[in-house]
Amino acid sequence: MKSNNKFKIMLIGVVLVVAGWIGWVSSNPENDKAMVAFVSVSELLEEGIQDRTKLGGIVKPGSIIISESNLLDCSFILEEGDTELPVKYHRTRPDLFKDGAEVIVSGVYTEGVFVADDLQTKCASRYEGDLRDGESYNLEELES
Amino acid sequence: MTPIVGNISLNLAFGFSVLSIIILSIFLRSGDYRLYLTGRRLSIGVSLLSIWATIVLGYQLIRSNFEVDYVAHYTSRETPLLYKISALWAGQAGSLLFWVFILSLFALTVIFQNKNTHKNLMPWVIIIITAVELFFLVLINFVTNPFLPVEADIIVANGLGLNPLLQNLTMAIHPPLLYLGYVGFTIPFAFGISALINKDTSSLWIQSVRRWSLMTWLFLSCGIILGGWWAYQELGWGGYWAWDPVENASLMPWLTATAFVHSIVIQEKKNMLRVWNMVLIILTFTLCIFGTFLTRSGIMSSVHSFATSSLGPLFLGFVFLILIFSISLLLFRLPIMKSEKKMESFSSRESGFLFNNVIFVVMCFAVFWGTIFPVLTEAVRGVKITVGAPFFNQINTPLGMVLLLLTGVGPLLAWRRTSRQSIIRNFALPASAGLLTAILLLLLNLAGYVVISFSLSVFVLIAMVSEFYRGIKARMSRFGENPITALITIISKNRSRYGGYIVHLGIVFMFVGFTGNAFNEEKEFGIKVGQEEHVGIYRIKLSGLSEAERPNHYAFIANLRITDSQGNFIVNLRPEKRIYNHRNPDPNRRQPHSELDIYSTMIKDIYSVFSGVDKENQTAFLKIMINPLVNWVWIGGYILIFGTMIALWPRKDEV
Repeated sequence: MKSNNKFKIMLIGVVLVVAGWIGWVSSNPENDKAMVAFVSVSELLEEGIQDRTKLGGIVKPGSIIISESNLLDCSFILEEGDTELPVKYHRTRPDLFKDGAEVIVSGVYTEGVFVADDLQTKCASRYEGDLRDGESYNLEELES
Repeated sequence: MTPIVGNISLNLAFGFSVLSIIILSIFLRSGDYRLYLTGRRLSIGVSLLSIWATIVLGYQLIRSNFEVDYVAHYTSRETPLLYKISALWAGQAGSLLFWVFILSLFALTVIFQNKNTHKNLMPWVIIIITAVELFFLVLINFVTNPFLPVEADIIVANGLGLNPLLQNLTMAIHPPLLYLGYVGFTIPFAFGISALINKDTSSLWIQSVRRWSLMTWLFLSCGIILGGWWAYQELGWGGYWAWDPVENASLMPWLTATAFVHSIVIQEKKNMLRVWNMVLIILTFTLCIFGTFLTRSGIMSSVHSFATSSLGPLFLGFVFLILIFSISLLLFRLPIMKSEKKMESFSSRESGFLFNNVIFVVMCFAVFWGTIFPVLTEAVRGVKITVGAPFFNQINTPLGMVLLLLTGVGPLLAWRRTSRQSIIRNFALPASAGLLTAILLLLLNLAGYVVISFSLSVFVLIAMVSEFYRGIKARMSRFGENPITALITIISKNRSRYGGYIVHLGIVFMFVGFTGNAFNEEKEFGIKVGQEEHVGIYRIKLSGLSEAERPNHYAFIANLRITDSQGNFIVNLRPEKRIYNHRNPDPNRRQPHSELDIYSTMIKDIYSVFSGVDKENQTAFLKIMINPLVNWVWIGGYILIFGTMIALWPRKDEV
């Protein structure tokens, strides 16, 4: 009995130490990229958040400008509902990045521009697409 | 074989499963054996009908019957045959059907294997398996039916086709392997719960599921490793693990399952940890369902959310149902489950296993915490705090180090209690080898986890090799065998033990590979034809740009010549920028895809991505990464598979 109690105390000790460790890391992670708040574009603009944030939205069609001198430099406008936000991104773009793509960017908002260091695209519409956009025929049109 | 046949099979399977459960429940009250036989046959019927429905869907995919919505969504005429078949698990409805298909195969195996054994356990085992089938049959019959026709007012001339990212051999076999893992744990779970209900406190159920659990664990491990390999080869961000919610979804059951395959050894040998093993198998099965849910519901947006859906509430409801049912059953049975035996000493094999178990479970909790943290913070504070890879790495690296240490320590401990002499005898060599490595690495100006990880790896390596050495030496001196015969004999006489040691060696290789991440180098740049760029100690020269038109895409190819700092030639790499559907007049339908090229050695990988091309200026935009030791991860994976196979191989007297 005695030795089993010793074990229980030891195991509870291990669990507490790890729980403490998880709690500590959750409240102050070493790396500022570890935990980032996901905000909306309007929240970012209204509250003028200076910290790293993550945003989601649509790439405004026609807004992508790729620098002539360096193909990696790119700027575009991120649309979320009625709000718009200019974004700059200087790294390799994902293959699915294009007009109208749904993207998630993370970075810092400074002087009216959101400088992103990470850009992720959601899957292309084609592969969860509408069959009507594909090679299909509308029966009513065929009849008329 | 029209789609209707599949639909009717699914309807019937649904009805049969309800009937089977009802009839088996009546049998448990009345004891009329004929009812048992009827219920069992109905359950076999559920499995056969589900398998048949899957074959029908496969047939529709192969012959491109675009009248079926699922077929039109995930394949096109041009899709190669292999990927037409793999489209079976590319979409939501199909993958849920595929889940039932695998469970049906397992269910049939279990039912026929135990035709004359486990008479008291089998009725509940069949009920539980059929209930799980029933849940998935409800989903595919009423929520997301794979045989749904396309809307009546259109005719589809050609389907949408399969995502090019999924048109890859690895991606064709990664989901089935993972599913074999997820689904397989239904069987040990069913046996465990049945033993609980039957107040069977013996270890019989453990013996009958040990091999199942190990096999399922192997499938899950292979699925996870293959997924990482695919991400590394295809996605082009240069890594194999991103702590993405869906990856975590597969890691969580793997962690608890690993704890389970260890701790059932204790129950088999010592009849201890009975409650704990129940907790582990309940957790593992629940996490498997939760994993399927995370993958398929699209609740977390991630690369894997190829599907979004309304399945969420149903899945969560099922998860809670399983948890409430099994936990309350366990609490109810707690008085008879407690073991009389006690742990005797910290320096015992039992205690080593117990600590390894605790670390696996808290690690699983850490991963779970990070995965649902965004959901929690949004609910509590109204702000969605997303959690990235650095968070998981920071939490799990020290835990991983403890696990690595236990990988070496555990096997060196004796059952019950290890004497001081044998501790000194067993640990002296591995521990001093580990310390020596640490000192050497510190002299080389390395620090932190890198030093800890490499020295622990050496410690475990030496510990495992010396275990083999001791076994071989004992046989050589006792029976006068030569070393090779001795090696073969000790392994074949004790497959699970030595198979386990080999798996531990595989884990060491993987940790060495993980540690290599600390030395990764990465550079993104634009380069004109004829120019050179330095990355790490390498020089990358763009010797030319070429183009090629192939059946389903157009490719721009960057010809790279890699030399080391002295100018010695190493390799030519040819990463490609492909445009799929390049003939489509609508530019939005053309699909760019980066096909990367990797030069891989044991020391390091040179990883090249062709991210963009400027034809007028003859400029290529590249991402080059130097990733040390990545190959060790894959080799570790092979060793792990090999070791598990040895542990799984039947003994001669079992045949």
